[in-house]
Amino acid sequence: MIGSKDALVLILAGGVGSRLNILVGHRAKPAVPFAGLYRIIDFSLSNVMNSGLTKVGVLTQYKPLSLMRHIGGGEAWDFTGRTRGVKILPPRTGEKESDWYRGTADAIRQNIDFIEANPSRETLVLSGDHIYHMDFDAMIEFHRHKKADVTIGMMVVPKSQIHQFGAGIVDDENKVIDWEEKPSVPRTNLASMGIYVFDTRYLLRALALDRNEHDFGMHIVPRAIVQDRVYAYPFYGYWRDVGTIQSYWEANMDVIREGSGISPQEWGIRPNVSADGRPMDRAPARFLSGCQVQSSMISAGSVIEGTVINSILSPGVRVEQGAVVRDSVIFEDAVIEQGALVDLAICDKRVRVGKNAVVGFGDNKDIPNKKHPTHLYTGITLIGKEAAVPAGMKIGRNCTVGPQQRGSEYSDLFLRDGDSL
Amino acid sequence: MFKPSVLAMILAGGRVDELGVLTFYRPKSAVPFGGFARVIDFALSNLMWSGIELVAILSQYRSFSLINHIGTGAAWDMIGRYRGVSILPPFKGLESSDWYKGSADAVYQNLDFVRYHAPAQILILSGDHVYQMDYREMIRYHREKEADLTAAFIEVDPAQAHRFGVGEIDFENDRFGRLTRYEEKPARPQGNLASLTILCFRPEVLYEMLEENQKQQSFEFGRDIIPMMMERKLKVYGYKYSGYWGYTRTVGEYWKTSMDLLGRDPKIDMEKWGLRTNLDHRDIRDCQPLKIGSGAVLDNSMVYNGCHVDGTVKNSILFPGVRIEEGAEVSDSVLFFNNTVQSGTRITRTVSDVNTIFGPGCRIGGPMSEGERKGITVIGWNNQVPEGMVVGRNCTVYPRLAAEKWPAEAIGDGEVLR
Repeated sequence: MIGSKDALVLILAGGVGSRLNILVGHRAKPAVPFAGLYRIIDFSLSNVMNSGLTKVGVLTQYKPLSLMRHIGGGEAWDFTGRTRGVKILPPRTGEKESDWYRGTADAIRQNIDFIEANPSRETLVLSGDHIYHMDFDAMIEFHRHKKADVTIGMMVVPKSQIHQFGAGIVDDENKVIDWEEKPSVPRTNLASMGIYVFDTRYLLRALALDRNEHDFGMHIVPRAIVQDRVYAYPFYGYWRDVGTIQSYWEANMDVIREGSGISPQEWGIRPNVSADGRPMDRAPARFLSGCQVQSSMISAGSVIEGTVINSILSPGVRVEQGAVVRDSVIFEDAVIEQGALVDLAICDKRVRVGKNAVVGFGDNKDIPNKKHPTHLYTGITLIGKEAAVPAGMKIGRNCTVGPQQRGSEYSDLFLRDGDSL
Repeated sequence: MFKPSVLAMILAGGRVDELGVLTFYRPKSAVPFGGFARVIDFALSNLMWSGIELVAILSQYRSFSLINHIGTGAAWDMIGRYRGVSILPPFKGLESSDWYKGSADAVYQNLDFVRYHAPAQILILSGDHVYQMDYREMIRYHREKEADLTAAFIEVDPAQAHRFGVGEIDFENDRFGRLTRYEEKPARPQGNLASLTILCFRPEVLYEMLEENQKQQSFEFGRDIIPMMMERKLKVYGYKYSGYWGYTRTVGEYWKTSMDLLGRDPKIDMEKWGLRTNLDHRDIRDCQPLKIGSGAVLDNSMVYNGCHVDGTVKNSILFPGVRIEEGAEVSDSVLFFNNTVQSGTRITRTVSDVNTIFGPGCRIGGPMSEGERKGITVIGWNNQVPEGMVVGRNCTVYPRLAAEKWPAEAIGDGEVLR
């Protein structure tokens, strides 16, 4: 596109995102479905597209197949054409050893050849696992205006959360003068969003200094603040790192809630509906007589005969007569059979909840998952991909049912709060 | 990789007066259908599932919407070394230039295209029927019999047969047999087997017939070509199809066929059929999931992605981008892309074309009166219906009306506003 800044975009999409538990059992975090039709990385890719940037590298590492299939040739985000393109950049065997990416900076360093092969004035480094809407064109303009070496996208977060982020202290001009990575006692509430604009020549120099500097937040940025011109680009608006089950669920619920500030369609976020195994020409969602649907998002191909309240359904979900889905996120082609109840749960693709089964049984949400107490502690229950919950089974709160679990493997028709199968 | 032996030609050009404002700006085959698709998608999807992927579309009336919809043909997998879909519009020749004078003339004018592909069979289809068929069974029979023409028929209500081409088959089994009689739209039909306009020809015979036909005054497959072949006692066979067949020639039929999509076990289950459409047309691939508000009611309806429903929707079909505000109620209706129904408005038994905004407090359409078959109100595209407007049943509102064209309060039953 004429007039664009011609910056090179590098999206870091290799993280495991292990706190998303079985949702990342077979896919990378950026490939986790979100808001019915999307995957998390669609937000970064669409922001890049809508900012007029056309050269993109996606750095993958952990279970990349699902992500690679999703990105495909990049047509969904208009990255095909004479000078456009999206390239997958997996780790490669180097001269000496097989080098996995050891951190954000290390991943970029191992792709210096890609940066050099696509000459650019600026390099934009993004994370592929955030939910937000941002104009990078304006950010690059800011970067140029400030004559910065590095510009970091930053936003104000509650002080109680600052320990999860890199925190910057800025002067009146938005120049970053001090930096704390994940501070236990915060001095500021300005958090890094993991979005960097580098002057490309500067980036190449900085990466060459010390090959043991693996991480932007830990190594590259703190030194740059001392020695060079680092600016904070302030971001106001909706931004979530959906790195935990709770935050993932909350962000999904935000899409339903009026006035929450997130709207994928208004933001121009594009899914890639053709990429998923089967063609996505799903018929419109069908609402049969007697159904009740409130405060929800329903995707094409779904058939609703029961009740759906405050939930998000991906394409092809069936909610049979008398079944109730409440406060839940249901992925593609899951079936909730007659009389079943799914309450406060996330069901992965092609899950089948048998007749009169209950997922999310009882009122006690306070017993954390025994295996992963830091993953599941707010009452959300996870059902893994293609698992089948037998008819009449009751599954409590904070439980996990592993992918492809079948009826015959259950010894008991009751899974207590906090247990895993 | 074998070169394909069947060339399919879809007759997609026509418009029909009875569809009124729905075909003012698009051919019949490009009329939206089923909440996300177009009528021609049924023929194209049938071809795809039959493995016939060399396709020509004959189009002359307002082709823009159709051309947009077909795109590269990739949606139906009709793109590749020996696969493709070509749109054949009328053209100016060295000596003559002519609009297509009829369906047979349209094929005749493109015989150079047909001959270039040298097909073993030519399958002529209509682009405006709603049905699911694997054409291979019929083509196999056609080959076995070394037929000159094999045509598909369906049993219809004898009272309606006069509207179709009516044939009589001397059945050799429950589906196939020699065609013994054929009459196009007979005043007093002798049978009830109606032609589906699915015609499989032996190419040399078709070329000859089309050449002959040029000497005549009328150029239609049903009216001229088939009767000529019957007269000459060529080998013409019939195939009786017994699945669902929906046609959309009048607004009433369009509405009825649409309603056949609804219900617990609909007559047409598009998902099961594997109906494919071009998701790039109108960018419907980029729509977010349907958003349903806290006070919404949905009953026996189909709603596609990109809609936002806060009101009540009963027995209706909503295309992408339709907005139903709180307190609005839509029943027994079909709303095309990007309609907005504002608060307090009630719409009943209405088909509304794209981009119309219904102001608050309107009453559109009405219940069927006794003994009436039609009574469907049609709203042309890009209208702004003023606040509190009453439009009766069986009305037609022309597209893109200027604000001053609207009456102060009401349009009576059966009236046309232009």
